[in-house]
This record gives sequence, structure tokens and C-alpha cells, in this order.
Amino acid sequence: MNLMANILLNVLIAFLVGSVLLGLYRKVVARVQSRPGPPIIQYLLHLLKFYIKESSFPKTAAMPFYIGIASILMVIWISAVIVGPVTQGSLLIIFGIYAIHKIVEHNAGSSSGSPYGKLSCVRAVYSAAAEVPLFAVLVIIYLKTGSMGISDIINYQAVNGPLLYAIPLAAAMYLVLIISKAQYTPFSITKGKDIVSGYETEHFGLLRGYLMISESIMWYMLLWIFLTVFLGPISPIAYIIGMVGITVGIAFISATSPLLNPNHSVILQIIFAIIGIVGSILMLNVL
Amino acid sequence: MDQVIYLIYILSFVIGMIIGLVLSYKKYTEPFVSKNIDIVALVISIIGWILLLNSQLIMLIPQYISITIGLFLVALVLGMRPGYGRFELVIGFIVSGIIWITGMVLL
Repeated sequence: MNLMANILLNVLIAFLVGSVLLGLYRKVVARVQSRPGPPIIQYLLHLLKFYIKESSFPKTAAMPFYIGIASILMVIWISAVIVGPVTQGSLLIIFGIYAIHKIVEHNAGSSSGSPYGKLSCVRAVYSAAAEVPLFAVLVIIYLKTGSMGISDIINYQAVNGPLLYAIPLAAAMYLVLIISKAQYTPFSITKGKDIVSGYETEHFGLLRGYLMISESIMWYMLLWIFLTVFLGPISPIAYIIGMVGITVGIAFISATSPLLNPNHSVILQIIFAIIGIVGSILMLNVL
Repeated sequence: MDQVIYLIYILSFVIGMIIGLVLSYKKYTEPFVSKNIDIVALVISIIGWILLLNSQLIMLIPQYISITIGLFLVALVLGMRPGYGRFELVIGFIVSGIIWITGMVLL
């Protein structure tokens, strides 16, 4: 297939599946809390609505940075789709994309001039101290498989079985990272309820639409990486079942656990990262 | 080519949910209170689940078409206004599941 067509197809799939999963996430959280909740399609409808709403810009916004940063967020996650499902390139690039995501979170918050955005901006830097070590799970995968290439990792698992069994602590670390990117979980301090919508608070209309599209693609990509890197070559139906399963599981965590204070959140994530890295290295040496 | 088919499945599912939501809001003007079964939604759900889960038993139409239609019909019921359609969805799934198990045993 033509590369451009392949990219377009995968981005569309990532966007639509990610949107429906985030809608399902909200629905499950609501049902666990005995509320009817929104329809599953609500996230997608909400997102589309922003494209026909008037875009307004705060007087305090740092132009043109304020506009550019929302577009950059979309560009980096589309790049992740190209590196992931389309070309099955290097996990190192995915790591770079995640690092840029943290920078974008920081800048989106600071560029709006909103106090909520600024708090979120500070928290984005703060949480990077914990989330980036969690993403160091990639090093453990490299030590185990000898490659950072997604296609090589898939081939390794086709021969040696899923990495989930070989390095379970690394999988748990990555799961903690996914949890930190979901809304209202104990670790999602950049968009905690106490700061309204965090770095998105002062983004309206088209820009909010960009942010929401990026989030849906990000959610799809984080789950895709988990399933691909830890379960290996699986069928599309297994991908869907896996993505729905993880989304529902994280929704349960979100619905039943409190939002942590930023200090506690970061310390807990760092503890997870230390246990994960040290434990995985010990397991690699023993097994 | 496979990915195009998956995209069609996803689009069919998403469009089905949007239409289901719009139609159910027109049909039901009140939030979900009654426990009555909506016969139309039940029939759509049963047909949808059968087409989706038992597509290999249906020889008349290609599998990808029956799955696309099945996903669309299931999404119509799944996408209904919050509260509505869930009993119908579960009944449809059970009926289709029984047919699938029967088909597996007999074939």
C-alpha cells in the first residue's frame, strides 16, 4: 500500500478507536459510581463539536506559541502512529515523542496565561521526573531482546513468547505510565479536578479540538505499544479486546481511587519505577 | 486491504452509535426510568449480534459485509440514550451466543 494512504488509514483508525475508548472510559467510571454516564460516543461528538465552535483567545495568551503548541501535540502523536503501526520503527523515537509530549503539556499550560494552566505546567515538569523513568522500561526491553526496533521485538516474541511473562515488572511499570495519562486517576496530576482542566483550561474551539484529537490518538498509541511490546504478534481482534480490557480496568481504578496530591503521586511513581527497574534487572540476571 | 476493512468496521460502528443516539433521543424524551423492553431495539440487537458473531454461518453474503452490517446494528442499540437498550443488547448477545455454540456443536 502507498505510504501516505497507510499513514492516513492508521491515523484515522487510531483517532476513531481512541475516541471510542475514551468514551467507554467515561461510561465505565460513571457506572461504577452509580451514575448513568454519557453515551460511549460522547467523547467523539464532544471533539467534533469543538470544530464548529468559535475559537476565542485569552488576552493573556502568549501568541503565536499558544496556537502552535496545540498543533505540535497533534503532530507528535501522528508521528507516533507513523513510527508505531505504520513503519514499526524504533521505540527510542516513541520515547522521544513521549518526552516532547511532557514539554508540550508544560508549554500549553504556560502559554495560556491561566493560573490553572500554569499550575498544570508546573505539575507537568514535576511529573516528568517520575514518568520519564517509568518510560525507561524501554531499556529493560532492550536488555532482554537486544533491539529497540518494534518489528524486532515482535519477531523476538514470536520465537520466545510474550515479554509480559519474561519481564512482568516492566509491563507493570508501563501500565502505571498509562494510568498516569488517563483522566482522574491517582497519577493524572496535570489534569486534576482541582485545576479545572489543567493545561487545557484556556483552550477553546479549534485548539481544544486539536488537543482532544491528540489525546485520543495518544490513548490508542499507549495501548498499542503495550500490547505490541509485551504480547507480541496478536490479531486485530486481540488488539481490540486488549485495548477495551485495559481501558475498562483503568476506568475502575479511576472510579474507585482518589486523586493524589502531586508530591504523593510523583513519589509513588518513582517507587514503582525503582522497583520495576531494579526488579527487572535482577530477574534478567537470574533467569 | 485488511486495514481498509477494519476502518470500514470502525466507521460502521461509530456511525451506528451516532444514529442510534439521535434516533433514541427522538423516540424517548425522558431519561431512562421504565424497565420495558423496546421490541424494535431487541429485534435490531438480535439481528446485529447474529450477523456479527455468526458471520461464518451466513453463506449468502461475504463475511466482511455481514460483520459491517452487524456492527452497525449492534452500535445502533449500544449507542442509545443512556439507560435505554442495555437489556436488548444483552438479550441479543445471548441469543447470538446460543446460535454460535449450537453451530459449533452441529458443524
